[in-house]
This record gives sequence, C-alpha cells and structure tokens, in this order.
Amino acid sequence: MLEVKNLRCSYGANQVLKDINFRVDKGEVIAIVGSSGSGKTTLLRSISFLHKADGGTIRFFDFEKDITRLKGSEIRRLRMRLGYVFQNFNLFRNMTVRQNVMEGLVTARHMDRAEAEKITDAVLEKVDMLERADYYPDQLSGGQQQRAAIARSIAFRPDVLLLDEPTSSLDPELTREVLNILTQLAADGITMVVVTHEMGFARNVANRVIFMEGGVVVEDAPAAEFFNHPKQEATKRFLRTVTDDCG
Amino acid sequence: MSERLWEILASSLPNLLLYCVKVTIPLTACIYALSLVLAFLLALVQVLNIRVLSGAARIYVWIFRGTPLIVQMYIIFFGLPSVGITLNAFPSAVIAFSLNYAAYMSETIRASIQAVPVGQTEAGYMIGLNYFQIMTRIVLPQAAKIAFPTLFGSLIGLTKDSSLAASITVVEMFKAAQQIAARTFEPLALYCEAALIYLMLNTALTLLQRYLEKRLSWKQPLTE
Ligand SMILES: Nc1ncnc2c1ncn2[C@@H]1O[C@H](COP(=O)(O)OP(=O)(O)OP(=O)(O)O)[C@@H](O)[C@H]1O
Ligand SMILES: [Mg+2]
Repeated sequence: MLEVKNLRCSYGANQVLKDINFRVDKGEVIAIVGSSGSGKTTLLRSISFLHKADGGTIRFFDFEKDITRLKGSEIRRLRMRLGYVFQNFNLFRNMTVRQNVMEGLVTARHMDRAEAEKITDAVLEKVDMLERADYYPDQLSGGQQQRAAIARSIAFRPDVLLLDEPTSSLDPELTREVLNILTQLAADGITMVVVTHEMGFARNVANRVIFMEGGVVVEDAPAAEFFNHPKQEATKRFLRTVTDDCG
Repeated sequence: MSERLWEILASSLPNLLLYCVKVTIPLTACIYALSLVLAFLLALVQVLNIRVLSGAARIYVWIFRGTPLIVQMYIIFFGLPSVGITLNAFPSAVIAFSLNYAAYMSETIRASIQAVPVGQTEAGYMIGLNYFQIMTRIVLPQAAKIAFPTLFGSLIGLTKDSSLAASITVVEMFKAAQQIAARTFEPLALYCEAALIYLMLNTALTLLQRYLEKRLSWKQPLTE
C-alpha cells in the first residue's frame, strides 16, 4: 500500500537517512524501534513531507513518484490519506477537543456538519474522550491530549496512521491508557506505523518490527522472529540494552 | 483652595470633557484603526516572505521606529507644504501617528505569529488543511491572543501620546487645557485636571482589557 525506496534525507551536511526501503501493507501494524538519533522521526516526517527528502521514490497504492518532485497538490492529496500523531500531541490550542476532531472533516474535507458530528462522537467514544469533548487542550492531561490527538487523526479514516513515540512524553499510567487505545485500533484493522520505545507493545501488538540505526534499516522482521531470533548482531545488542533497562 | 480656583475647575471640566469626546477619542480611534490595519499588512508580508514587499516592510519599520514621532509630525504638517502637499492639522496627526504606530505594532504582530509553535501548522497540514486555512483558523487566532495585551498597551499609550498632536496645532483635550490655563493663569490646576481625565479614560480601557482577556481565554468554565 505505502512503500518508500532509496529514501535519503539530511539536515544540512548531516545525512540522517541513508537509503531507506520499507513498505506497509494494509492492516499491518509496524513498530519502528532504534536508539535515539537513529532517524526514526525523520523517517516519519519525510514520508509525510514535513521534512524534504533528498531523494527516493514513494508509492501509495498505484501512485508512484520521485519524492523530491511532488507537486504541492500531490502532497496535499497524499496527506489527506495519512494520519499523523505527534510525540507532543499538537492539538490546536484555540479549539476544543470536539472542534479539533471536526476540523479535518468539515474544513479540510467539506463534510456535512451533522455527519461530521456523528463521526466525531464515535471516535471520541472510541478513545474514551467523549466526556471531555468540550474541554480545551490546556485543560487536559497529557494522556487525554494524546487520545484526543489520536481521535483527530483517525476521524477521517486515513489509510495509514503514523505515530511518532505517542507515549514517550507520558508517565507510565497515561502510557498504558494510550497503548490500550492503540491495541484496540490494531484489533480494528487500522494500518499503523508506530515509532516506539515500548518493547512490550512492539512484541505483542506489532506484526512487524523495523530496527533502525545510524539512518539505515538494520533489521525488518515479523515481531516474533525479531524478538526471538534476531539475525543481526546490532539488533541483538540493541535488544540486550532495552531488556536490561526494563529489568 | 480658593473659591475662584474651584470655579475655574468646575467651568473648565465640561469643556475639557467635550474636547476629550470630540477630538481626543476620535483622534485615537482613527489612528488606532488605521495603524492596526497597516501593521497587520506589514507583518503579513514579512511572515509570508513575499519577495519585494517583505524587504520594503522591513525598511519601513527601520525608518519609522528609528525616528521620533514628533519629527515625523513636523515633516508632514510643516514640511510637506513646501513641496505642494498641504494637509490640515488633524489629518496630518492621524497620518503621522498611524505610520509610526504601525511600525511598532507590526513588530508585535509579526512576533506573535512567529510565536505560534510550528507544530500547530504541521498538525494542520496533517489533517488536510491548506496554508490559508491553517493561517485563518489556527495560527492567526492564536497569534491574536498572544498579541492582545501588547496591542492593547499600544492603545493605552496612544490615548496619552495623542496629546503630542497639540504641537502641530490640533486642539485636543491637552491643547484645550493649555488655552484655558493661559487665560486663567492656573496651569497647575488645569494640567492636573487634564491628567485626571486621561487617567479615567485609561482606567476604563484597562477594565475593558481585563474583560476582553477573560472572554478570549480558551478555557471552559469547569462545572463539576
Ligand atoms: N531539526 C533538526 N536540525 C538538525 N538536525 C536534526 C534535526 N532533527 C534531527 N536532527 C538530527 O537527525 C538525526 C536523527 O534525528 P531523529 O529525530 O530522526 O532521531 P530519532 O530516531 O527520532 O531519535 P529519538 O528516539 O531521540 O526521537 C539526529 O542525529 C539529529 O541530531
Ligand atoms: Mg524521534
């Protein structure tokens, strides 16, 4: 469904992604893991065009093009079908939770208001935020904000939901809240790419795990295989450090 | 205090209030409205980085913030007639003040727009909004809230600064006080009276600011 080939990306002279290849199929949940600075965020940002890539091709269903040659209208059309959940939520501060969710439906997609309201209620129910629908972001806990942000990006039924460390700015209790929601979404068959440090989540919920280091994909394997029989030395080292951390 | 002084104060008060309502307030309102519009345009061309205009806006701000307001007023009212442009005192004051205040206020507006976190814009793009929608629905409302206290401060400053228009013969409240003081030889009393009226005016504005700030806040009254 979504595929990138030979993706390269840099910040000035610092080359951050070096020849990345990966694909996502419908219904898959992919966990991207790797140490800090390995380029995970940059990868999500460049396939969402928030950061301009230096080279590579992107394929989305049967649309395929050099990622550096996309027109503004093509970028907008692709973004319409991607959901993005930010590490720090980025809810619109001047809007209530309900307005945040409605915005993508009514303003961006010109949906009929009554219909948008119905969908909004349904997704807020799903993330257990209906009671707080009329609160502003500043009045919510981090976990509540992140659940609202998830509702905002699933409301328009994106083909793929990209999540960049959705729980890393939350404390353990709130992390659990959000992971439960993501587990539910996975069960509903929503296609997800999740950058995460939560190995338990990667092991139990993801179909596939991608391990990145130094701007390259080191290992890309089904979750069980990734954790039980990693092929690369670097992966084994990484898994040792993360399991040591978690005790 | 002598009876005569009381009489002067009492009889001048309605006069001063009249000039306040008839000249000072309209002068302030005209200037503020014009400079707000101009400031917004100056800020916008810089934020949007429109090629020639954004450079022009920066030069404009450099000049009008870098020279004294009173000199700008003298150039327009006393200077321009020698090149054939003659304006009355009131419009001269409005133009000079607006040009000057717009330079300051555009910086406030520009900084406020840039103070809205870039994540807000990115989130807007990722739910499918276009740039115009992001600006009008997300960035500008948030920037307005950030800019509000400073822009309101400019309004309060302006009601006081409007007395400078007296220097190019606009008879506003301060000039009126000056004339009565000259006639009655009671400068202390008259200027204090004028000061008091400015103070009342700005007290009212400050209360208005508090009220509006409350209305602007993005908080739901919590009823639990
Ligand atoms: N805005 C930026 N300007 C310059 N360099 C950047 C910028 N953002 C990231 N980098 C660099 O790019 C590299 C990859 O960063 P990236 O944020 O993609 O890593 P990450 O894998 O998401 O790390 P983390 O787990 O800490 O979030 C890092 O070496 C970082 O220093
Ligand atoms: Mg990151």
